[in-house]
Amino acid sequence: MNENVKVGGILDQLANVALVLGLLLTTASFILTFTIVPVPQSNLNVVPADQPPAEIGGLYVTNALMFSQKIFYFHMPVAVISLGILFFTALFGIMFLIKRDHRWDLNAKVATEVSLVFILMTMATGEFWTAYEWNAWWVWEPRLTTYLILTLLVIGYFILRNAVDDPERRAVFASVFGILAFIDAVVSLLITRIIPSSRHPVITREGGLEPLMVMALVVCIFGMIFLAYGIYRTRIREQRLRIRLDTIKERLED
Amino acid sequence: MESKSGANEQVVEQANIAHSILKTPSTFSQYKALLAKDIRQEFRTREMLTSMGIYALLVLIIFGVAFSQMPSSYEIMPISGGLIWALIVFTSLLGLNRSFSHEKEEGSLQGILLVPLDRAVIFLSKATSNLLFLAIVELITIPLFYFFFLSSEIVADTLWLAVIPIIVGTVGIAGIGTLLATITMSTRGKDVLLAVLFIPLSYPLLFACVSATSAAIVGDSMMMSNYISSVALAAGYDVVMILVSWLLYDYVVSA
Repeated sequence: MNENVKVGGILDQLANVALVLGLLLTTASFILTFTIVPVPQSNLNVVPADQPPAEIGGLYVTNALMFSQKIFYFHMPVAVISLGILFFTALFGIMFLIKRDHRWDLNAKVATEVSLVFILMTMATGEFWTAYEWNAWWVWEPRLTTYLILTLLVIGYFILRNAVDDPERRAVFASVFGILAFIDAVVSLLITRIIPSSRHPVITREGGLEPLMVMALVVCIFGMIFLAYGIYRTRIREQRLRIRLDTIKERLED
Repeated sequence: MESKSGANEQVVEQANIAHSILKTPSTFSQYKALLAKDIRQEFRTREMLTSMGIYALLVLIIFGVAFSQMPSSYEIMPISGGLIWALIVFTSLLGLNRSFSHEKEEGSLQGILLVPLDRAVIFLSKATSNLLFLAIVELITIPLFYFFFLSSEIVADTLWLAVIPIIVGTVGIAGIGTLLATITMSTRGKDVLLAVLFIPLSYPLLFACVSATSAAIVGDSMMMSNYISSVALAAGYDVVMILVSWLLYDYVVSA
């Protein structure tokens, strides 16, 4: 059915560049984070090492918060980008429903796959942080729960895809669920922010970031964006080559 | 000249008669017909109501067993909001699964789809019937919950306020659940899949409704300060999700 699926071209070449650039930038940000980026000063001055935890912005923090804060430069970009990619899942879903072209369905599927990778990275880094900082591997804290729900939605998306055999129907159902999942993710982010009882740190509440911190963060965000695009485009290429291979096989059998 | 205009009048008159005979029914009468069909079927078979009711009772018994080893003076009030919602979610999952199974088995959905009507009407009628059956089951099981778990407690005066989040939540569950049940009815392993898709999607609604229901039962002033915003957020979720489901229903049911 897809005899002239386009593979190669400028976008696929850019994908390789994006992958390399992404790796370089994330590595650079990693090095920056552990070398020149300062440990949060304000909190260090407030809490000497031998004193009990102090309350900062409604949070009880100790000195331990300071160095473990380094994981933030990795955790936050990955979390933001995973949600950003889900937006594209919803967008491609809408495009599919309008145009009924399976290209958009493939795009949506691959975007969700990349999103799953980033979501798992967020969960892993977040878990390390909670385990160290809150002395618990899991807390039913709204933002953590929201992220767990996001993970379940994305896994549900793939379970749904696997449960439908007819490709046309599968594409429609996946598109509709992708749109719903994105809206749901946004709504649950909002709801858990508005209804209080949050223990998750929020940057503004913690007193903002210093310029060097912002720099490391921005470098990591850009690195992750490039990386995400590189993975996405490479996977699309692989899938298209597979479709092409299947059509050639079918033609040989005939 | 005269005869021609007379002939014209005759044609117009005939067209008018034909129009009055073949008048397309209004959207509202289509909706009423579809809803009446669901209700009539339910009252003849009583399939959904009995199964949901018995299932809800069994969930209550499981709650009772789960608390059987608790000390006698445990506080059930702060968690009772959550328990009520666990009960509603499990019961509604069962009902939503059932709501489309006979449509599929008897092929009646095929018949409905052949009628030239707006697909959104199917969504609205199905969501309304699901809401109705769920509400009937809740009317029986939530007082039962009170009887089993809260009758020995001193409940706050604000208890009646719990009705509002329960209504708002049930509307949302019926709306989003109808769309998801339509998706899962034509997939493999539909019962499990409905739960896999439904529970994460309804999470924000559950979170807000549990917050509001618990606040109403406990009546604590600090919790009550969240009550309004929780109910408002749950209502906002309802509006957004039902609108989106309504828009997308055409694609899903025709696929």
